[in-house]
Amino acid sequence: MQAIDIHTHPVFLHKGYSKKEIDEFASYGTAHGIGRMVALGDVLAYGRNPNAKQIAAINDQTAQVVRWRPDYYIGFCYLNPTLGAKAVEREVERCAPYGFRGLKLEVANNARDACMAPVMRAAERLNLPVLQHSWSMTNIKQRSFHTDPADTALLARRYPNVQVIMAHLTGCGFRGVLEAKGIENLVVDTSGAFPEANILEYAIEHLGADHVVYGSDLPIRESSVTLGRILGSKLSESELKKVLITNAQRILKL
Amino acid sequence: MLIDTNAHLGPWPFSHLTEYSAAELVAHLGKHGIAQAVVSHLGAVFQPDPMPANRLLLAATRRQAALVPMPIVNPMLANWREQLDLCCAGTALRAVKILPNYHNYSLTTSRLDPFVAELKKRGVRLVIGVRFEDVRHRYFGLRIKCVPQAAIAKFLQRHADMQVLCLGLSLPEVRELAKTCPNFLTDTAFIEWIKSMEVLSGEFPIERVVFGSQTPFFVTRASVDKLTMAQLSAKARAAYSSVNAQRFFSL
Repeated sequence: MQAIDIHTHPVFLHKGYSKKEIDEFASYGTAHGIGRMVALGDVLAYGRNPNAKQIAAINDQTAQVVRWRPDYYIGFCYLNPTLGAKAVEREVERCAPYGFRGLKLEVANNARDACMAPVMRAAERLNLPVLQHSWSMTNIKQRSFHTDPADTALLARRYPNVQVIMAHLTGCGFRGVLEAKGIENLVVDTSGAFPEANILEYAIEHLGADHVVYGSDLPIRESSVTLGRILGSKLSESELKKVLITNAQRILKL
Repeated sequence: MLIDTNAHLGPWPFSHLTEYSAAELVAHLGKHGIAQAVVSHLGAVFQPDPMPANRLLLAATRRQAALVPMPIVNPMLANWREQLDLCCAGTALRAVKILPNYHNYSLTTSRLDPFVAELKKRGVRLVIGVRFEDVRHRYFGLRIKCVPQAAIAKFLQRHADMQVLCLGLSLPEVRELAKTCPNFLTDTAFIEWIKSMEVLSGEFPIERVVFGSQTPFFVTRASVDKLTMAQLSAKARAAYSSVNAQRFFSL
């Protein structure tokens, strides 16, 4: 079974700038049964609120990763909605030749904010999924710029024609799963956090296997653990196939 | 063969964890290649006296050779010697676990000195529970933090002639503690980064790492795969998997 990992950072905190490193990263994934990876960019390289030039540098590097290994990596375009509509549209336009398959949002702003509108309009126009970093803000008091699962769920409801990926199932927690329940254009990725027990089964029960997709958050995590938490949970063969492969194929149009 | 140094029986009220019976835990761990596990009882974490939970632990594991009970002792209670007596009488294992933050004391307090002296006199190993879960997204009402790295360092330096196993350390914590403290072991449960086991074996003495699954908090297979799929030397693999635990716990 060759899984698709929808959440990785082959370039992370200024490491991964050589082809050799990118090849090694892919070899590591292949050895663990990962057939392809989504490269999300070095999204924290310049802090949480990068300027237009820094955003462009991050996206150029993602494009380089994909050019080096088009057989393995699928790029997403990283955006900072707080830079405004013109900057967002310019960057999306500039990145068009790169063939990115989705848009990535981190912690520049909360997904509830009005500045999300140009991003979501671009996603709808280009038929691209939006991967939104999400984490429970119950204990982390940063909701002014850090997105809670309730905010990601609201984003998906506001833009029903855009496929939204709520990152970090475990960080979103059981409450996050319930926030995502019943939203047809929302899937949750399994990336990030320790391999906490029983939340994956809970997500499958409440969201259905079509709404959970495998992600790791490499290199912050490791594939043996992130895959092991899927394979070691109580899922049927059909559910496993959806989570590890076919949901990502559908979202990424592979 | 895998020996698990970080597994639990009993209830955890703050999440949807599986509460295994002793027999179920043996079967579950065995399915993942874990032949033996050192287990504590989660009832001892929150109750005012850990002994009722320790008695449950001792009774539950009596007929399960694969489970080695590790009682939890609260050295701040007036009856800590009685706790030790009971724990040592009820089990072949010569180790106890302490939970400073859950039992409301600091590792830096001198009140621990007589307790540590008694452990040394009796030849009982000490295990410190550093964390059970990721505090970022756990139950909002639980405010207890992880045992601070600085306090662990002070404790280890104060008792430099004693080897201590710290359960639940992260990789950055191991790195920091290793700079000043040669007398601790770590388990693998909360150590994660790409190629974490390979990184750990390159930076930290291999004789000071033991396998921990953190069952039932974590998916057991994930913890097992982290070790079994790592590219380690045969010596490091054996050390992490069982040799170090056998030596530390005299199994």
